[in-house]
Amino acid sequence: MSENTDPLLRLSKVTKHYETGGQSVTGLEEVDLDVNPGDFLAVMGPSGSGKSTLMNILGCLDVPTSGSYTIKGTNVATLSTDELARLRNREIGFVFQVFHLLPRASARKNVELPLLYAGVPRDDRARLAEEALATVGLSDRSRHLSNELSGGQRQRVAIARALVNHPSLLLADEPTGNLDSKTGEEVMAILSRLNGEGVTVVLVTHDPLIARRAHKIVYIVDGRMVTEAEFREKRG
Amino acid sequence: MNFLEYLSVAFEALRANRLRAALTMLGVVIGVAAVILLVSLGTGTKNYVERQFAGLGSNILIITPGKVETRGGPPMVGPARHKLTMSDSNILQKKGYLFGGVAPVVFGSAEVRLSGRTRNVSVLGVTPAFSEVRNLRVEIGAFLTEADVEAKRRVCVIGRTVRKELFGNANALGQIVKLNGARFRVVGIMENKGVSLGVDIDDIVFVPVRTAQDLFDLDSLFEILISVRNMNDIESGKAMAKSIMFHAHNRHEDFTVTDQRAILSSLFTILDTLTYVLGGIAGISLLVGGIGIMNIMLVTVKERTNEIGIRKAVGARNIDILLQFLFEATTLSAAGGLIGLVVGAAGAGALRWAFPKMPIEVPLWAVLLSFTFSLFVGIFFGVYPARKAAAMNPIEALRYE
Repeated sequence: MSENTDPLLRLSKVTKHYETGGQSVTGLEEVDLDVNPGDFLAVMGPSGSGKSTLMNILGCLDVPTSGSYTIKGTNVATLSTDELARLRNREIGFVFQVFHLLPRASARKNVELPLLYAGVPRDDRARLAEEALATVGLSDRSRHLSNELSGGQRQRVAIARALVNHPSLLLADEPTGNLDSKTGEEVMAILSRLNGEGVTVVLVTHDPLIARRAHKIVYIVDGRMVTEAEFREKRG
Repeated sequence: MNFLEYLSVAFEALRANRLRAALTMLGVVIGVAAVILLVSLGTGTKNYVERQFAGLGSNILIITPGKVETRGGPPMVGPARHKLTMSDSNILQKKGYLFGGVAPVVFGSAEVRLSGRTRNVSVLGVTPAFSEVRNLRVEIGAFLTEADVEAKRRVCVIGRTVRKELFGNANALGQIVKLNGARFRVVGIMENKGVSLGVDIDDIVFVPVRTAQDLFDLDSLFEILISVRNMNDIESGKAMAKSIMFHAHNRHEDFTVTDQRAILSSLFTILDTLTYVLGGIAGISLLVGGIGIMNIMLVTVKERTNEIGIRKAVGARNIDILLQFLFEATTLSAAGGLIGLVVGAAGAGALRWAFPKMPIEVPLWAVLLSFTFSLFVGIFFGVYPARKAAAMNPIEALRYE
């Protein structure tokens, strides 16, 4: 760790335990990871490997049991619930496998949501949301309700929502998992293009074809970071 | 986020579920409308009674036989050792220098007959003082005189209704009518007074007090009315009447002195209490409406768990979620309250139109109070579901389908 520039995100010895039914279950075990500005990183692992836990911690939806996680030098562990909400609002854009759009709201209203909680005035929200929808090629769908859109269109709305506040990090959790291969390809193309424009992307997936789009891949099995060779070996 | 933005989020959510929102509001609508209607009815009744009493004069003391407490505790009616008599009345007249008039009253009912026509009427045995004490005047002829009383003359003064029923348009003055078979000459006809407290003043026959005692075979009085000359002396007048009566009755307090105000104020206390009880019962339905809101909000929060997760993921703080659902609940109750106000006021108007005699007055305080109460009901019953929503873990909320 001799870089003279600080990474965007740094996880060091991050461990996460869960209490389920009085039993402590390990989600992550001493994970070290740096993400630099402009990275396109894929986290690969089978289901139950702890990659969702990692995603939740990276997205500030959860805090580590031990170890430290810093975003732009801020230690997340010391933040209150409200400060975490603020951090999610300003620094992180989520893209989920099941899209997670508000079904009865229009595409534009969905994209406006992060701006609403950032305290952006109404007129600016509308303008910024339209801009973000244009980035993903959905200008003509801004007034459609999200449940009137196709899966690929929904995921593009979700990407626009993730981008609208210009976050430091775009976190995509199996973004193509609910899409057919053609629309999945379109979504991946958008993520690649955005990364080319300077957006930092972390992609969580179990699909090696998807992971290959990233510039760097890390592997996670049973809550631990492993090398590619170990990963192949463990998967048999 | 400012107030208006929370409000617009609340409106959007309610619009998405119009029927449910309308049904939930209905509870509050009915509650507020019921409060307004019932309180209006109570207030109208009180004002009606107040107007009825207004002409009666508030400087009047009433002495009745027996000891009765008009206020507080169960009424204690002891046996009257002495009845009220004409001599009591005379002593009061002689010694009571604060008194304007002392009017002994005998009360009974009799059948009045004129050549085949009969009518059952109330008969009051009175002295000339009665006319001035009760502020009742003769229109035609003259009222009873002192001489009529002393000589136990069989003369009477009749009310307008009695006159109309017996004589029609014919002249009544100087005519002979039969009261329980005894012949009485009509010497006067009272002026029109109308109905007061459900008693038709015009349907009464007045006879001299001693004549009435003979007629009903009584040696006592029903009551003694006293007018106090100066309004400010009403309390000392009361004390004076008590002291005179106390000595006249060999130091026994076997009578009761009440003033009109005491009767009025105890009546008003009853009417006020009635109004509050009615309003309170209606208020309970408002409370039930509030529970309906809480119920629906709990369902809503559960249903929208995923939405809460999404909002939290994109940066909503706990307070944002709390306020969002609190605004929704309060919007429901406030809108219900407003509609309830309109329904209640319209209902009061409709009742007045349908039954013009029904005393209904919508008091402003009831309008303000019931609306404010409905608002607080929404806040009170909205807090628990809203807190539940705010406390959700975003990861679990996102996972919820």
